[in-house]
Amino acid sequence: MPRPEPKTITFTIDGREVQAPENTILVDAAKLGDVEIPVFCYEPKLGAPVGACRMCLVEIEGIPKLQTGCSTPVKDGMVVHTQTDRVREAQAAVVEFLLINHPLDCPVCDKGGECPLQDISFGWGGGRSRFIEPKRHFQKPLELSPLIAIDRERCILCYRCVRFSQEVSEDYQLILHERGAQTFVGTFDGHPYVAPFSGNIIELCPVGALTSRPYRFRARPWDIEGSGSVCGLCPSQCNVTFTVRDDRVLRVLARQNDGVDDGWLCDRGRFAYQAIHVDERITEPLLRDGGTLRPVSWERALDEAASLLKKAGSRVGALAGGGTTNEEGFLLQRLVREVAGSEHLDAAGIDPVDAWTLLDPALQASMQDVEYAHTVLVVGTEPVDDMPILDLRIRKGVRRNRVKLAVATPRPSSLDANAALSLRYAPGGEGAFVAALTAAVYGGDIEAPAAAADASVDEIRALAELLRTGGDGAPGDVVIVWGTSMLAADGGAVAPALLKLASGLNLSGREGGGLLAVPAAANERGLLEAGFAPGMAPGFGETDGEGEAHAVAGIAAALRAGDLTALYLLHDDPLVTRADTHGWDHALEKTTAVIAHSQFLTAGLLEHANVVFPAESYAEKEGTITHPDGRVQRLRPAIGRQGSVRAEWWVLTELAKRLGTDFGVLTGAMASQQLFAAVPFYNGLTLDTIGGKGVRWPADAALAAAYPAAPEARRDAVYAEAAEPNGALRLGTFRSIWVGADVEASPALKFLAPRQMVEMAPSDAQRLGVRHGEKVLVGGDGASVEAIVALRDAALPGSVFLQTGITTNAANVLDGPLVEIRKA
Amino acid sequence: MSQKILFKNIDEPGLATLDVYRARGGYGDRLRKALSMPKDALVEELKASGLRGRGGAGFSMGTKASFLPKGQMDKYLVCNADESEPGTFKDRELMQKCPHMLIEGMIIAAYAAGANKAFIYIRGEYQQQAEILERAIEEAKAAGLLGDRLMGTDTSLTLWVHRGAGAYICGEETGLLDSLEGKRGNPRLKPPFPANQGLYQGPTLINNVETLATLPHIIEMGASEYAKIGVQNSTGTKLISISGHVMRPGNYEIELGMSSRDIIYGLAGGPGDGRSVKMWFPGGSSSPVLTGDDLDLPYDFDSMAKAGTMLGSGAIIIVDDQTSVVDVALKTAQFYRHESCGKCTPCREGTNWTVKMLERIKSGEATPMDLDLMASVCENIIGHCLCVLGDAMAMPIGSMVKKFRTEFEEYIEMARARAERELMAGLSSAPAAQPHHPVAA
Repeated sequence: MPRPEPKTITFTIDGREVQAPENTILVDAAKLGDVEIPVFCYEPKLGAPVGACRMCLVEIEGIPKLQTGCSTPVKDGMVVHTQTDRVREAQAAVVEFLLINHPLDCPVCDKGGECPLQDISFGWGGGRSRFIEPKRHFQKPLELSPLIAIDRERCILCYRCVRFSQEVSEDYQLILHERGAQTFVGTFDGHPYVAPFSGNIIELCPVGALTSRPYRFRARPWDIEGSGSVCGLCPSQCNVTFTVRDDRVLRVLARQNDGVDDGWLCDRGRFAYQAIHVDERITEPLLRDGGTLRPVSWERALDEAASLLKKAGSRVGALAGGGTTNEEGFLLQRLVREVAGSEHLDAAGIDPVDAWTLLDPALQASMQDVEYAHTVLVVGTEPVDDMPILDLRIRKGVRRNRVKLAVATPRPSSLDANAALSLRYAPGGEGAFVAALTAAVYGGDIEAPAAAADASVDEIRALAELLRTGGDGAPGDVVIVWGTSMLAADGGAVAPALLKLASGLNLSGREGGGLLAVPAAANERGLLEAGFAPGMAPGFGETDGEGEAHAVAGIAAALRAGDLTALYLLHDDPLVTRADTHGWDHALEKTTAVIAHSQFLTAGLLEHANVVFPAESYAEKEGTITHPDGRVQRLRPAIGRQGSVRAEWWVLTELAKRLGTDFGVLTGAMASQQLFAAVPFYNGLTLDTIGGKGVRWPADAALAAAYPAAPEARRDAVYAEAAEPNGALRLGTFRSIWVGADVEASPALKFLAPRQMVEMAPSDAQRLGVRHGEKVLVGGDGASVEAIVALRDAALPGSVFLQTGITTNAANVLDGPLVEIRKA
Repeated sequence: MSQKILFKNIDEPGLATLDVYRARGGYGDRLRKALSMPKDALVEELKASGLRGRGGAGFSMGTKASFLPKGQMDKYLVCNADESEPGTFKDRELMQKCPHMLIEGMIIAAYAAGANKAFIYIRGEYQQQAEILERAIEEAKAAGLLGDRLMGTDTSLTLWVHRGAGAYICGEETGLLDSLEGKRGNPRLKPPFPANQGLYQGPTLINNVETLATLPHIIEMGASEYAKIGVQNSTGTKLISISGHVMRPGNYEIELGMSSRDIIYGLAGGPGDGRSVKMWFPGGSSSPVLTGDDLDLPYDFDSMAKAGTMLGSGAIIIVDDQTSVVDVALKTAQFYRHESCGKCTPCREGTNWTVKMLERIKSGEATPMDLDLMASVCENIIGHCLCVLGDAMAMPIGSMVKKFRTEFEEYIEMARARAERELMAGLSSAPAAQPHHPVAA
């Protein structure tokens, strides 16, 4: 859809002439003339206005009745009055009506002090009530969910929460029960409102009816300070405001940035702050001593780590996890490459040359493009798990701008219901599927790759047709949202095919269309750009090193073979985050020195780490991270570092110093400066220019021009065939939004930490004689995990799906590609 | 006795069957004539008839049909058969005794609007009528009067009967559309109006049963002939439902412009037994009340509007001099509180507040100052709501307070004195205290 380009008109409000874009909603246009029209139900984020609260009644000349400012688009020459007696009386009347059933228990209400109902009552109300009847009463407060408390007496029935559930997150759980003055908000079936984005209704509520249970009674607005930063828990990188009291984070609120999050947060982003202040967190350096990790002084830990690294010489490997900032990744690659003289470091586990070609700024789509494209293809990713806020953006485009959505995934997607076209291919058939789709768009053999992906040729043809013509013969902007895990699965074939597909659809250099990667980890893109990738220097430059640079699997193999003897883990634990748990377990067993930075003692560290440095939480960090659409965003510390935690940049610099190299980094900002200087397309960025909203470097012509030209895509790529089940089942994996040490450690979120389920088609279950909810063993060669059967109608027969990354029974132990299911 | 059009053969046995209806001229030349007219000409014909909507708002039917955008798209016709205005029961008789007249009218309206899908949204309580309609639709389908290329023309129409679940608000056109779509029946913000974005976002023509049933007769008589019936701006005949304190309550067909006295006393026999008319609702319970002094007003749209009230759905409710205005006000307000959907503030809270004040008057806990408060609350509702339900309570209650203030004041004094007596008497036998705040689940 073309983005609206409104013309500017002039209208008059309270005697002042104001310029505004035509058809702006009057409430918003009035602000341009410094006039505030009070609202409760109006919230542009929720879509079309409903005109329910009647707070925004204003007088418009030429219209006899008062009009709601929330639903009136401004026109040229419109004359509006908000200060006449008629308007004042009507607004005061609405305030009076709203308050007759409101309990006015402000002194014990969390919202008191930051409550629109308070503000508007003071600003526009009559100041006294004439209501002497008994008020309406409800039992209160109730648990709407373990995260949200509902006080139905305070509710003014503005519909915001219900509209969010129905029209934004589309979980369709919240409804209004009963009618008239007895109306109340609740879930349709009376079950708790548990959904990935449920917490947003707390922020939407203009009164104290919906409050956060973890935050309830923890602070009053005059006790707290707000501190803007970026959530570092997943690739969505939503902008947030931390609510801080006494150097503790008590709450996380959305900080609207339309280029990133549209003002929404997922529940993980909203509640996982609790993990910052738990006893399980490591707050001092630990050293393995007689088999157990014991707290030691910083000096001792640093000396020990430095001597371990010195002993290993160049036989060091390094892994960085998703929470690593650009600066940390940059400094660690300096430590590994410049100081130790090793080339073996990796974070994403994908071929950096593939990334280099696919992250080309000419091909880059932005988050907003998703909303305005003609067609969006989601391939090889489940946004709600991999990048939750993107899920809302896609739904918004489909619902409000009639974007045509196509979904192509091995696992049934939560977006299927919104998709014009939705198709399945077999796990392991990523490369073959993209090759088939490219052939369908470009010409070539479709049958063979489609068969290799176990996908329907007709469906692939229909998808190609939709991408090419927009479904109605009007080709337009196409955004391809693709999961980078496809590269890890079959990189050699996926990357060239995706590039060919993009060029077949004319996406290169196209405003409004392009590729948008959904990374597997929060700062995957930033780490690639900062040079934390095998054989790739910062800014996709050449490295000085010689010989082969090992990637993740190579590092594990080299450790097992004894070619590498030390492993540096920056916010990573391969036993939790990487595939092939057994191989890694074996590798760590063999490793002489494991040096780690971590907030929690995860399985691998507990067993194998020699030195553990306490890591900063994302609320304590400074530095930058890079959004999947190329927006460099700035983290700012909201609280001081807990315990004796020190900054990662400082630890890395200290280690380098002990090994004889001075990084020249004395502050966090100096690390950023070095990074910006080392990455050509970051040249000229400063922390100030990045500011609170970030800078999208692919959208900046000068920075984009500095992107080094990527090598020609491989032409001889051969796709892998998805394994033939032959009675067994193909194994696909996914990682739930609720997987992570932060979820496990947050008291409020713990209940959401997933248990292993095996998702399968009903026909397979019938063949195997297992039922929904039954406990089974899923296993391959030697290893097996226990899981509960979950039937999915839309699943492709012959394939099953298990979760990775969970604490027990994670699918990481299984090698695939085929598994068998036995009754437990 | 005026000319009868809709009720001409209404009591003929078997009129609900296709054969008898056809024998009385149904689905005959007039329908063929309508379907052979160019659509624009048909709409013009309807405009020229001066037919105003019979559901309550009184908007020109032809003009409404002309608002629908032209061109190929999914358009809908919806018949509002949610007859739920207290005192109104005319559509019920029409649908029960002559369902084919409605179907024939809908074929004409759908053709004029360019709609090929039509719905009859009938109130849930009208089970028998819904079944009669279903049967009639089956008959009409079998006879080729509905479905693809009906009567051999290029016009197609599929007709569904949808039963409501018992909500007054679903008679409001946009609430009806939401309910028909399977949602909670809440009124929508207007604009967009249904003519542009109605059912399933498509252009939609919504008309009342009686309005649609009149169309075949307009075509048969010709618009100019039809327009000669009645008075200026109120052409044609109107079905009226008379209830309350009259000797012969029921449905009557009258020529618009007839004297109200002739209707109430002539047709319905008046209150009888030496009682007199104290007040009357001229157009359903949401119309501001008139008093016995207003009986000589001509019964048509404009005269009623001039008198500060409305003709509404043509439901006349008579209240005689033996009845307390407080009881009438409370009953009326309770109905609207019960039926308020709760979406917009003034209606949700205002109806609730008004009922509580009236209950206080009844129980002797009010003072005459509360009358000013009640009038003020009603004023604060009027014109501030999302739909007209709030106004529908506030206007009649407001008019009652204004016109019968003395009686209200006397009642308040009387009730206070009674309450005081009871209190004194009760003190000796000291009953257990009642919980002051009832707690809802």
